[in-house]
Amino acid sequence: MDKILRIDMSATGGPQQSTEKAGEFAALGGRATTSTIVAKEVPPDCHPLSAENKLVIAPGMLSGTAAAISGRISVGCKSPLTGGIKESNAGGQAAQVLARLGYAAIIIEGLPEGDDLYKIHINKDRVEISVDNSNKLLDNYPLIDKLRKEYGDKVAFMSIGTAGERLMVSASIACTDPELRPTRHCGRGGVGAVMGSKKIKAIILDDAGCTNRPPRDAERFKTANRAFVEGIRKHPVSGEGLPAYGTNVLTNVLNEAGGYPTRNFKTGQFEDASKISGESQAELEIARGGKATHGCHRGCVIQCSGIYNDKDGKFLTKQPEYETVWSHGGHCGISDLDTIATLDYWDDNIGVDTIEMGVAIGVAMEGGVIEFGDDEGAIRLVRDEVGKGTPLGRILGGGAGMTGKAFGVTRVPVVKNQALPAYDPRTVQGIGVTYATSTQGADHTAGYAVATNILKVGGDVDPLKPEGQVELSRNLQIATTAIDSTGLCLFIAFPILDQPETFQSLLDLLGGFYGIEMTGDDIVALGQKVLTLEREFNKGAGFGPEDDRLPRFFQTEKLPPHNLTFGVTDAELDQLYNWD
Amino acid sequence: MAEKQSLRMVLPLEQLSAFSLLLQQGVWLRAQIGCSVASLLTEQFGIAEDYIVERITTLFLDCRPIDDLETSYVSDGSTLALSSAMPGLVGTTMRRGSHLAAMRGDISGQVQQPVESGMGRIRIKLFNLVMAELGATFLTQGICLSNAELDNFLSAKDDIFWQSVAATMVGDLQIDPVSLVKYIRSADPRAEILLQVEFES
Ligand code: SF4
Repeated sequence: MDKILRIDMSATGGPQQSTEKAGEFAALGGRATTSTIVAKEVPPDCHPLSAENKLVIAPGMLSGTAAAISGRISVGCKSPLTGGIKESNAGGQAAQVLARLGYAAIIIEGLPEGDDLYKIHINKDRVEISVDNSNKLLDNYPLIDKLRKEYGDKVAFMSIGTAGERLMVSASIACTDPELRPTRHCGRGGVGAVMGSKKIKAIILDDAGCTNRPPRDAERFKTANRAFVEGIRKHPVSGEGLPAYGTNVLTNVLNEAGGYPTRNFKTGQFEDASKISGESQAELEIARGGKATHGCHRGCVIQCSGIYNDKDGKFLTKQPEYETVWSHGGHCGISDLDTIATLDYWDDNIGVDTIEMGVAIGVAMEGGVIEFGDDEGAIRLVRDEVGKGTPLGRILGGGAGMTGKAFGVTRVPVVKNQALPAYDPRTVQGIGVTYATSTQGADHTAGYAVATNILKVGGDVDPLKPEGQVELSRNLQIATTAIDSTGLCLFIAFPILDQPETFQSLLDLLGGFYGIEMTGDDIVALGQKVLTLEREFNKGAGFGPEDDRLPRFFQTEKLPPHNLTFGVTDAELDQLYNWD
Repeated sequence: MAEKQSLRMVLPLEQLSAFSLLLQQGVWLRAQIGCSVASLLTEQFGIAEDYIVERITTLFLDCRPIDDLETSYVSDGSTLALSSAMPGLVGTTMRRGSHLAAMRGDISGQVQQPVESGMGRIRIKLFNLVMAELGATFLTQGICLSNAELDNFLSAKDDIFWQSVAATMVGDLQIDPVSLVKYIRSADPRAEILLQVEFES
């Protein structure tokens, strides 16, 4: 990854491309790369859909290598949903292919004149940016079917559906999976609208003739990779639970804990949770000839995904993840897996974030647009309103915050205008701290269960101290930011959390590849550096401490069954970024 | 509700999944109450200690995650949910003895004083790998259902389920599926029945 591709969509005479040396980014990746470039090159106070914003696409530090489970791709920009910095990542094949092509990043800047729609084809010999108006207003599935006929099956696609073309701020960027289906999405923050504003419908990545990136120390790298894979396979979460049931295995547990936000965060338990649980979902998938175990990209050794077939045994969608099942399920009072899977298909096809869309529908239900539990109504809203860009569809596609305003709803679960995911912060207060303070807006992956205990980020935390919530969240956010830069799937967090030898093999993987010695301290320093840059960008965009807050109702409305409110004070929240 | 009847079914092990929803939603069992969760699981249910340590790493007693099985006591009517280790921040947080337990401190089960002992009923919920591995054991020991619940359960079963039933007995009497459903429907819907399922591998 020794080069960066820069595409100027504003250039006179049509888009221009240039290639520059990767420099400091040659040994960086993912979120570290996207956030550094955005912080350096994008004016924080610009309009996110203007020529001044840039779309930065970066594979991870280990993408394109033989390292297991290293295929996450990051997309960064100023978010049109939050107004702050955004890094949104996804699986699929794109990261591996882009890294093998040698690119540390693609930076897309400017806006083209006119209404033409472009596609970008990148292979080892050239980059071709061409007008293709025949792709206009195609959704992701038909678009990819069409592009496969033109470019074949040995490529990876990144694309936007109609939501991205219509500049909806919940629009995602789809990345194709190993079967070339547009099922993996950089979903959060409206990155698809930024791609749409630059009039780019699809990026075709073709690594024919390229090989894996070679490690500096091949032997060390190989040994570390073997140990890393062994560690992942022997851990009960990454080796058994996730492959068997996927992330939706969390439904029953969250519901039992009373932390499963139900009917727009009114209660913490859904009476029909077991009907839509990962256990029930996996049984249904297997019974219909689908798969309960499937990787979103080649080289994934966990395989938390699956294939969801319809009643006739035909492919309907990939296995919906926990957050999707929640947003379209319990959050909306819907308890039918086929309805949820159909909504997941339409989200992917239109190209919207499943969390933002599901939460917006729940808020619309609260606002009386349809009833809670209206399966057909929910499908109609996504397929016929959002999918067709009607005025109501544009409100919903504008996210949960906009939907709340349009329908006079006071209980709107957003932070920095981004919808909260599937864990109620009144039950698990620590995650509320992350939702409130993350640079990204409410995001469950911003402070993942990474090995802060092993890393000793911030030293040993006393879990009994009241400020422990803030310390834990801070440490988790720092460690997660670093992992987001490696290109490794966050689900490696569990084996590295519990097995110090697997954490060491991760350090050896990075060390063996780059020919350097990595320590836990280096990981912490990287995480802190990136978070500081992101925080500074957000300050420049007008964010202050008052934006690091949960919506008021979390402090005033008690959540049954535990009848708790969110109790971390504003003063405590303001202590999160205390290292600079 | 006194226990009045028992129903015994013999099924192939592949049909364990037919009970999945029931096990996730929770099944009532008769048990000695007033004991610790540790003693309930090992002494009454016969679950090996190693299995509990390695596999049942997430437990909820009456919706509260518990960290110490020796000082958490079951009362009459308690619900105990058993799960293996979970992914995600919140999943990790819920784990027994998690280093992130502080994040869910407000809902954690607290150390209790022992409660009154005697015979009673507790509800067991089984999730994920634990359901797959212990579901048959609990069903073989027997679960308590009202006739109405049993009717709902049996009515939802398809032909494949009924064709795979090797034997059905009410008390000591062999009974065919059609007569069984009729029998359950004619009984007091609130009266309780003990369902025991034997699985043949
Ligand atoms: S574990 Fe799941 S999300 Fe992660 S790379 Fe594998 S399939 Fe994709």
